[in-house]
Amino acid sequence: MQARFDAWAGVDVSVAEIEAELARLRESEPGEDRGPRQRTSVMTHVAWVPPEWLEAAERTLEGMAARHPSRTVLLVPEPGREGGIDAQLSVRYFSAGDREICGEVIELRLHGDRVRAPASIVVPLAIADLPLFLRWRGEPAFASGHWLELVDLADRVIVDSSEWEELRYGELADVFAKTAVSDIAWARLYPWRVELARHWPAIRDQEIGVRGPRADATLLRAWLGARLQRELAAIEVSDALGVRLGGEEIFPSEEPPRSPSDLLSAELDRAGRDPIYEEAVLSLAEASPVVGAAA
Amino acid sequence: MSTLTEPNPLLEGLAIRRRPEPCALVIFGASGDLTRRKLMPALYALAVRRLLPERFAIVGAGRTEGSAEEFREQMRDAVTRYGRDAFSPDVWDELAAGMRYAKLSSSGDGEQELTRVLEDVDAVRGTEGNRAYYFAVPPSAIASLVRALAQEPAAGWVRLIIEKPFGHDRASANELNSLIGEHFDEREVFRIDHYLGKETVQNLLALRFANGIFEPIWNRQFVDHVQITVAESIGIEGRSAFYEQAGAIRDVFQNHLLQLVAITAMEPPSDFNADSVRNEKVKVLRSIHTPGPKSVVRGQYGRGFVEGLEVPGYREEEGVAHDSTTETFVAAKLYVDNWRWADTPFYVRVGKRLPKRETTIAIQFKRAPHPPFEEMAIGGLRPNVLLIHVQPNEGLSLVIGAKMPGQGMTIQSVHMDFLYGSAFRDGLPEAYERLILDAMVGDATLFTRADEIEEQWALVDAIVAAWQRDRAGFPNYPAGSWGPPSSEELLQRDGRSWRRL
Repeated sequence: MQARFDAWAGVDVSVAEIEAELARLRESEPGEDRGPRQRTSVMTHVAWVPPEWLEAAERTLEGMAARHPSRTVLLVPEPGREGGIDAQLSVRYFSAGDREICGEVIELRLHGDRVRAPASIVVPLAIADLPLFLRWRGEPAFASGHWLELVDLADRVIVDSSEWEELRYGELADVFAKTAVSDIAWARLYPWRVELARHWPAIRDQEIGVRGPRADATLLRAWLGARLQRELAAIEVSDALGVRLGGEEIFPSEEPPRSPSDLLSAELDRAGRDPIYEEAVLSLAEASPVVGAAA
Repeated sequence: MSTLTEPNPLLEGLAIRRRPEPCALVIFGASGDLTRRKLMPALYALAVRRLLPERFAIVGAGRTEGSAEEFREQMRDAVTRYGRDAFSPDVWDELAAGMRYAKLSSSGDGEQELTRVLEDVDAVRGTEGNRAYYFAVPPSAIASLVRALAQEPAAGWVRLIIEKPFGHDRASANELNSLIGEHFDEREVFRIDHYLGKETVQNLLALRFANGIFEPIWNRQFVDHVQITVAESIGIEGRSAFYEQAGAIRDVFQNHLLQLVAITAMEPPSDFNADSVRNEKVKVLRSIHTPGPKSVVRGQYGRGFVEGLEVPGYREEEGVAHDSTTETFVAAKLYVDNWRWADTPFYVRVGKRLPKRETTIAIQFKRAPHPPFEEMAIGGLRPNVLLIHVQPNEGLSLVIGAKMPGQGMTIQSVHMDFLYGSAFRDGLPEAYERLILDAMVGDATLFTRADEIEEQWALVDAIVAAWQRDRAGFPNYPAGSWGPPSSEELLQRDGRSWRRL
């Protein structure tokens, strides 16, 4: 679906230069066989991407670009490097009927002190009046200034708690009062939640055993506990998610596998807070140890 | 102790996609064009998205001889040819496993065959006696099928999905409604007008009622007039038997076009449930003033050129009488007699073999009260127009006057466009996907109620009655033009003109 993209790169650039280059890229001649161009105007997508996550982030972006051709601002913090802001810009074109739609990707490497106040870089680049989604790659530095100020800008913060070294749900819960939160690990549980819901009312009194990757299993157990209002056995850590209900293995109905791009796309389509997720996470803040014997 | 009546706390927060209960979908007219081009591709698209029930069956029913295997083969061909999704053998195999065929006959034995097939799918597929019957058949075949179905014991729910045209005039629509009403509840009847399943038509409701800026100016005080065009570039595509009886007024005007008028003109419903929306639509239909003969134009195409190709005139089409007086074009000036729209004309036109395929609603606003830039505007200062593009490129445009860059103050009209694909990149579902799913779920919001149908026919009957009094001089427009000259005159008399499409 993606037709092509035009690109530009600059070292130690200003926001004004970035805007000017983007405008130049957008206004370049569309070519004889192309109709008029239109910039998509649905959201600004900001991603905080430490260098070790950059490759994965770019792959995800590639997969979802056609579905959400937004203005994407990738912030790559490199505090250990000298200099200001290095930028790589690309304007990606997608055909839509008789015209082309363009989305923009602004990759900014923030060197030295420029890491300290990322909101001051994002604000002038955000598209006015449209929602701003913040995807935070890896484990957030919850107490840091750059986390707090970007969270304050965002209409939705998207994390993947399976990327965390430590499951710091208690600190994530502090964000709930400020903005909506999505967790890709939670999104992956969707088919399991649908399947488990089918077992009502028997599930209320049945023995439930949850095993799987730490974040996914922890969230699923927390959800079941909060919804059913009962204590559940600790999770077992294992590679694949699994649930035993009354001694029987259950399996979610086979859905086409969702790629990281699909999962992120779905979260970008969401509106409003998710009180059920918040309830599960809040229950973890006061939870007893959730991890049992390792598999 | 938990009971089944307690709400399921695990369901909360799950945006479970609407999935109908287990059921069998019976398609009467299984070998017809509609089934191949629209219904089966729509069912396949629903299967791809896992929106069909897990326990589901499709039973093709028709007068032609056939087996389940042949039916599957025909439908597979239809899906590969007309489907919007890439063909997936896995999806198809799952869908095809629930497909059966029942041959109907005029003697009544066929209905027994259908009963046997349905009992079989209940047993094998677990469809629990729930039935959706899709009438993809000519109007003349509906009554006998309804009577036959009325004799069937209903183990589960029953839904009748009936294609347009519903009746031939008000009397026949009344008769059919009465017959259906004797055996089925109105909530079990889903009269399809596939225009209502189109995203843009639904978006018109969103545009009007989810945005604060349009509704205050959506009335006679600010709107100069409304133009609705339903233009087709194709001819009758081999449907002469149907079209000779129906003409443009019964084929499109009575249903699609009047529904577009109703949605454009309706008052805000109190909520978005089926009856609230339909109550408001029927009020509009009741308020439409019957147009006098001078306010209606009919036409029939002669030989001409469409997209560079010479095409035959209507009377030269196979199966059409050489002196046919069937209209292929209708234009009219309608008035909705209520407080919101009094004296605001709705110019509407439908036609075949027009220069392009285009369905558009244009809300033309009154001019600025004091235009200081009048002399500087290119081609005169034009009024603002809100365009709702229903097909083929679904979206919205607002025509505004803008200053041309440079010295001086030259004004030019420009379009601000919202193209569906530019904001929402997921492919738009076909109208039939939405409507089939809605019917199986039991949501009648986007279907036409009995009283709406009857009001639509009342208006059409009055127009047709006036036509009986004089003989039309057909053909009166060449294929590839925008209809007869009298269509232009209809607006010119009011100092207006059709928009150039």
